Amino acid sequence: MDKRLLKNFDYQLLIIALILCFYGLVVISSATQGLHVSDTFAYVRRQAIWVAVGMGGLLLAASIDYINYYRWSWYLYSCNIIFLVLVLFVGRDAGGSFRWINLGFFDFQPSELAKLIVIISLARLLVDLQNRLPSLIRSLPLLLLFIIPPILLIFMQPDLGTALVFIVLYFAMLFMAGVPLVNLILMACAGLATIPLFWSRLLDYQKMRLLVFLNPELDPLSYGYQLSQSMIAIGSGGVGGKGLFEGTQAHLQFLPEQHTDFIFSVLGEELGFLGAVLLLSLYFLLIYRILKIGSFSKDRFGALLCLGVAALIAFQVMVNIGMSLGIMPVTGLPLPFMSYGGSAMIVNMASLGVVLSVGMRRFKIQF
Amino acid sequence: MDKRMLKRTRLFISIVLLIFVLLSARLAYLQIIQHEHYWARAETNRMRILPITAPRGEVFDQQGEQLATNRPGFTVSMVDLGTGYEEETVSRLGELLEMEEEEIMEKIRSQYYRRYLPVRLKNDVDEEVVAQIAEHRLDLPGVLIEAQPIREYVSEETAAHIIGYLGDSPMEEWIVERWQEEGYEYQIGDLVGQKGLELAWEPYLRGEDGGVQVEVNVTGQAIREYERVDPQPGSDIYLTIDLSFQKKVENILKEAVARQLEEEGNLYAGEAAAVVLEPDSGKVLALASIPTYDPNTFRQDYRSLEEDPRRPLNNKAIADHYPVGSSFKMVTAVAAMEAGGVGRNNTITCRGTLTRYGATKSCYRGTVHGTLGIVDAITRSCNIFFYEMGLKVGIDSLAHYSREFGFGSPVGLTDIFGEKSGIVASRDYKEQVYNESWYPAETMDAAIGQSFHSFTPLQMANYAAMIVNGGIHYRPYLVEKVVDSEGNVEMMAEPEVLHHMDVNSATWDVVREGMVKAARPGGTAGHLADLPVDIAGKTGTVQVVGTEGSIPNHSIFVAYAPVDEPEVALVVFIKHGGTGGETAAPVAGEILMEYFGLDMEGLENETNDINSAND
Repeated sequence: MDKRLLKNFDYQLLIIALILCFYGLVVISSATQGLHVSDTFAYVRRQAIWVAVGMGGLLLAASIDYINYYRWSWYLYSCNIIFLVLVLFVGRDAGGSFRWINLGFFDFQPSELAKLIVIISLARLLVDLQNRLPSLIRSLPLLLLFIIPPILLIFMQPDLGTALVFIVLYFAMLFMAGVPLVNLILMACAGLATIPLFWSRLLDYQKMRLLVFLNPELDPLSYGYQLSQSMIAIGSGGVGGKGLFEGTQAHLQFLPEQHTDFIFSVLGEELGFLGAVLLLSLYFLLIYRILKIGSFSKDRFGALLCLGVAALIAFQVMVNIGMSLGIMPVTGLPLPFMSYGGSAMIVNMASLGVVLSVGMRRFKIQF
Repeated sequence: MDKRMLKRTRLFISIVLLIFVLLSARLAYLQIIQHEHYWARAETNRMRILPITAPRGEVFDQQGEQLATNRPGFTVSMVDLGTGYEEETVSRLGELLEMEEEEIMEKIRSQYYRRYLPVRLKNDVDEEVVAQIAEHRLDLPGVLIEAQPIREYVSEETAAHIIGYLGDSPMEEWIVERWQEEGYEYQIGDLVGQKGLELAWEPYLRGEDGGVQVEVNVTGQAIREYERVDPQPGSDIYLTIDLSFQKKVENILKEAVARQLEEEGNLYAGEAAAVVLEPDSGKVLALASIPTYDPNTFRQDYRSLEEDPRRPLNNKAIADHYPVGSSFKMVTAVAAMEAGGVGRNNTITCRGTLTRYGATKSCYRGTVHGTLGIVDAITRSCNIFFYEMGLKVGIDSLAHYSREFGFGSPVGLTDIFGEKSGIVASRDYKEQVYNESWYPAETMDAAIGQSFHSFTPLQMANYAAMIVNGGIHYRPYLVEKVVDSEGNVEMMAEPEVLHHMDVNSATWDVVREGMVKAARPGGTAGHLADLPVDIAGKTGTVQVVGTEGSIPNHSIFVAYAPVDEPEVALVVFIKHGGTGGETAAPVAGEILMEYFGLDMEGLENETNDINSAND
């Protein structure tokens, strides 16, 4: 391998990511105490395997020259749509929604993979459309054609939280690619206008879910309960926390999703303000490093890849932690690198791999 | 990176930083400023959610008479108070509830993922036991007594096979999984319909459970209430049957069976079924299966019910099929006229026996009918005539017309599950099951309802209805309407045509005439002519050969009444009950008298004198 490639490998980013994963393992081990009746460390062990697999994905994604992602982007996009259609038919039913495909050893969640693929293919689209972007009329049809299928398919699972991630990711990348603000606002307004169209096509229980998402008060026994328990957990943690494995809220399992969606509440209770701020700082450093790599990128495509990954991580962190703190609605979005779950872990690590690939090949001429 | 992108990236990182600072501020507010408040709340955190069970929808007959309702009862549950489940409490509770400790622990474990909800240990606990638990509440931390509606079947044994029964949710997992797939939620200990209407109409009957968020004290008693969601009661179901008529039908069948057992000394008797349909809608007016059971005490009686060779839990009206003998002959008659070109005036001479393809077959008890046409052949149930007809049209045509009448597949009753297809004698069936080809001599047997033919009582009733209405196959239905807890009609049944046979009206006239005359003097059920109801029908007597020779015949009668403007079509089936004319036909007569509100008294003696020499 070219020595310059290794020289430009951003070890800082990798180290921050590994610290986050390790931090996640520690908190998961506490959150899942007693969750599995016979094997206390069943969850931690599985998560550790996913971190290892994710590490492999990261190295693989980094070793591929990112120009290939540009070349492959439409194949990736097509595969992505196929997966998202497939999950609606062969998906595992979990409480009326179809989000996972059972692969035997592992429940694969296509909407996680979709996040990375949408970043890659949207970056290409924005590069290809660069000259047309200032004009709404000349860019809008393609931009819409691109984003509607994945969002609609995820919406049909139904997974409203993830659908929202795509909408935000989309606008963030458009914004950073330099689409005029006026155009973005017009597009957002047009999007809002289509809501009644969707509404009439929804089943009653799906409508209820949406309403609860907007107003948790409608389902106080479930969501309201989770929120107030989460706030009690975090608030009772204080500055230094109650100590690992010592959280009463966590160990009484007041929080039904404490190793996935509400992992931050467990952290807040057991490791306190210091532990929580440490986590926020790690995330900030991670996002900062990604943007830094993006700003050194030799081309627009590489820069947009980094911006997309940064926006994705930032938004998910913000929504998940905001939810645990009782200032955002309950959406069921995982906390990147921290929440228990294989698909998200592997895809997040691979996303960093893509960023690293951009960083390693930032020099102009490679020979 | 171009300048604009760099500028926007800087703006982006600033926004992220701002949001992170806001999140940290919120953290500081909760963890530093409000810390004491939340610390105290965590220390005394005894917030629990107590589910409130929705009352299940009630079941009424068409007149509004109640069949199933709910009565108040008590459920004993246990809730984790933060110290785990104490062994001592579990063992004490086990004694009081007469449960094994291991059984209790198993239930607690099965709800591991929802520890904040109480674990339901036992439903419908005796009031005495409830009083004892209440008395010792201080020694039983975490034990809760919840009021929970208990299902009560007011109609007891009547219509038990229609209504069905409930079970605890983990018992029949496939049922719970099926409903969960449709988005309904179930907890351990929830009741779910397992048979009959309770199963098939579960989504309407169940309602939506509510719940209340409470703070419990150290013994698990609720001391403060926060949020409450009232349960939404299930919807009520109104049936097409009339409870008192259904009850009479069941009693008439029971008496007929008892007569066989006691007076005739027929130890094989004991099972019977009857189905009464409205021929121009498919509405089920009665659906009876004997013996029956009491769904209220079904759990206690389960073992004896399971061991009873007469299988009381089985709904014989839809889930068992039997050979039907000569009551099948109208199918052959329709085939002969539609496919064989046989007319009303064609005759055949019956000499009591017929030899074809090396097989000699005879009329029932060797009767010689002489020269007769198709109407007479139905009236007097002449086997020889129908052997000839069968040979004329062939087995494929017989099988075709059997299927046209709805035999060989479920009739389409979906208001309760479990309907069987029965068997139509055909080349395919014989090849598939016996791997043998069809012999022409077997066509003769098939033509008079023997051979492999085997049908459910519901199929027979539908067949009678189709003869009445000229070949329209209506979907039979038991549920007239569903009314939600606020009184809105959620569903109203409409007759549904599943198939319409393409048969000449002249053919139907001949078949009906044969049936009318069969219930007039000289016919196989001639004694029915003495009743004040004008009945048309056809007898069936199924010879049964057991391992030790001949055992009592199955007795069957399909009928409709009144002849001029038929209101009902029915079948009576009495397993090992004797000949169709002697047993099933008078029972059908009694049922029809009951339906038309006529008095049976005074007619009894005459009917007993009738001599039914014919099948």
